[in-house]
Amino acid sequence: MWPSLRQRALRLPSSEAIHQWRFSDLINRSFCSSAINATNNNNNGGGSVVELLKLEEVEKVLRDVRADDVRVIPVKKQSEFANFVVVATGKSQWHVRNIAQALIYKASLFSSYFVKQKQPGAKRMLLPSVEGQEGGNWIVIDSGTLIVHAFDEKARDYYNIEQLWTSKESSKDQSQSQVSIFEVIYLTQTKGSFGPLDYDDI
Amino acid sequence: MIQPQTHLNVADNSGARELMCIRIIGASNRRYAHIGDVIVAVIKDAVPNMPLERSEVVRAVIVRTCKELKRDNGMIIRYDDNAAVVIDQEGNPKGTRVFGAIARELRQFNFTKIVSLAPEVL
Repeated sequence: MWPSLRQRALRLPSSEAIHQWRFSDLINRSFCSSAINATNNNNNGGGSVVELLKLEEVEKVLRDVRADDVRVIPVKKQSEFANFVVVATGKSQWHVRNIAQALIYKASLFSSYFVKQKQPGAKRMLLPSVEGQEGGNWIVIDSGTLIVHAFDEKARDYYNIEQLWTSKESSKDQSQSQVSIFEVIYLTQTKGSFGPLDYDDI
Repeated sequence: MIQPQTHLNVADNSGARELMCIRIIGASNRRYAHIGDVIVAVIKDAVPNMPLERSEVVRAVIVRTCKELKRDNGMIIRYDDNAAVVIDQEGNPKGTRVFGAIARELRQFNFTKIVSLAPEVL
């Protein structure tokens, strides 16, 4: 029980610190003008989160390139690194690659708007990272808080990623409830009474 | 700190159980591999009736090391085992699920696929 509690107590603040570090780094280096900071605050993704591709834009692009079976999975609760996972299927390897190309083009339009205002080196940082573009079975476009997976039909069946993310949600809830039970036991043991629990003690 | 002849556990359901590093991909005379590096490995032990077999040569990404991983904010992560995930030439994982905790540095090294299959990201 002790190690689990300690681990939990240690992990929660530290992961937040990393996030703050990463995103504040991004902002400091690439978004210096006050106008852009204002737009960042309008994005409701937790204060200083910068989104290169917005969810609505991604959905529109996927509709325009006729990607099949688009699913948007909100994963904010389960994962510390992303808010949304978008899964789409292409008919062939060409189609999958074109889906990726369209999204990259959209992101590059968005980033070139900012690059005009700031340093020449900023452009590379702003573009989302793309993985698997040569193959065309599975291409991942990772733009910070939003991750887009473009599969061909075989790979989508094989990896079955939406089932993984949707089932993870339920299992995570269970584990969290277990932890809370541990907390209660711990508190009752230390306090020796069943009075109102004070969570600040942990 | 993975070097040739190091044995690693396999952290996915590809069918391999144990790997031995035989080469580190990167510079010509590179000594050690760390988290996020690609190695060439030979399968020392495999699950029966799976596509991967013993003594097959595969590529793998290191996901956990006993040698500690330092972050810029002072955090140090150290695992109990050395573990790797089997990938193909294009970087797609051979298995469909990854087991155990994974460091988020893998995402910066462009292994988002492995990170998105993992149950826990540290």
